[in-house]
Amino acid sequence: MANRTDPLAKSIRGTNPQNLVEKILRTKIYQNTYWKEQCFGLTAETLVDKAMELDHVGGTHGGNRKPTPFMCLVMKMLQIQPDKEIVVEFIKNPEYKYVRILGAFYLRLTGTDVDVYRYLEPLYNDYRKLRFKSNDGKFTLTHVDEFIDELLTKDYSCDIALPRIKKRWTLEAIGSLELRRSALEDDFEEEEEKDEDDQLVDGLDSGDNDKDYYRARSPTREKDRDRKRDGHRYRDRDYDRDRDYDRDRDYDRDYDRDRDRERDREGRERDRRDRDRGRRRSHSRSRSRSRDRKDRDGDDRRRRHRASSSPKRPEDRDEQPKKKKEKKAKKDDGTDHPDPEIAEQNRIRASLGLKPLKL
Amino acid sequence: MKLSSVGCVYVRVKCNDDDTIGDLKKLVAAQTGTRADKIRIQKWYTIYKDHITLKDYEIHDGMGLELYYN
Repeated sequence: MANRTDPLAKSIRGTNPQNLVEKILRTKIYQNTYWKEQCFGLTAETLVDKAMELDHVGGTHGGNRKPTPFMCLVMKMLQIQPDKEIVVEFIKNPEYKYVRILGAFYLRLTGTDVDVYRYLEPLYNDYRKLRFKSNDGKFTLTHVDEFIDELLTKDYSCDIALPRIKKRWTLEAIGSLELRRSALEDDFEEEEEKDEDDQLVDGLDSGDNDKDYYRARSPTREKDRDRKRDGHRYRDRDYDRDRDYDRDRDYDRDYDRDRDRERDREGRERDRRDRDRGRRRSHSRSRSRSRDRKDRDGDDRRRRHRASSSPKRPEDRDEQPKKKKEKKAKKDDGTDHPDPEIAEQNRIRASLGLKPLKL
Repeated sequence: MKLSSVGCVYVRVKCNDDDTIGDLKKLVAAQTGTRADKIRIQKWYTIYKDHITLKDYEIHDGMGLELYYN
């Protein structure tokens, strides 16, 4: 009797709303003590009181998969089917984060696609911590916005298969939703403006800097790297030598830092290494590396030329053995075992992240 | 090599003895098409825990286990 859905409740996605939870999990919830004691005869108002007492989120845990009180309350909401206004109130309330999560979860299960995106996306701004009980019974730390992200992107959460909703870009294409405006967008714009200002300020220190900076940004730099870099570096060095040594160091550091940032952003590790080597070359007195000693031998121009070509060779030498090792590791996977059955098993194991079979 | 069965579903899985029960569940899930966390492996009311290896449970070659769903 107590487990029947409210007869006035609408059917969701063509079925009894309680059927959104799978049969086995549903049976477990009905047999749960919390459900029998606390959730008997709950209405929307008294449900709020129970929800405020929640202190963790989770699905089922333990060997026999015991459901959490959170699960029981979700089930109760599916059973009594509160109005949409009530659910939105749950979501909007700022004090009780577990009530918010409960409302969000229920809306994700029962709401339309547009509603889901509209009401759940503002919750991305909530950074509060949540206690999540995992399947093995241990508590882990998560955050409200992480949980909402899971609800919106994955199709399984807290041991319930979430109903399919349309992707955001589909809804945008139809026109039901507007483009997503992140709350951090303003912050990003500020950051970008600040970056541009910083670069301008550094650029004012020396004309050379600008040229280097622009070169750093241009995508064709990779191709012309050897030629151009040698040229301007040589010029750069002469120019630097004319100035104060201290000032040279300071601005080189800045300039390298900026360049480093650009490099990081564009992910060209090799360039950074070269430049670091360049920096070291100008500042350190004692160098014991054989490579540098080799470089020290010419004058600046020859040094520059060798600077461009010599880094390649040690790196090539480094990369090739690594590649060979990777190839060897793949063979160790066992996926090329003569017996096709075992090879197949090993392939499956590799895809699951397990070691190959020992035979 | 282990055998598992639930009702009429018979799943035969090849694995090492230092694989954990969790790994075994993943292999069974890959073969039956269910989710690994929905599977429960038992032997007569003893529910096998995920983090213990087959060797520690003394599950030998050809032994049968019961496969249930959570």
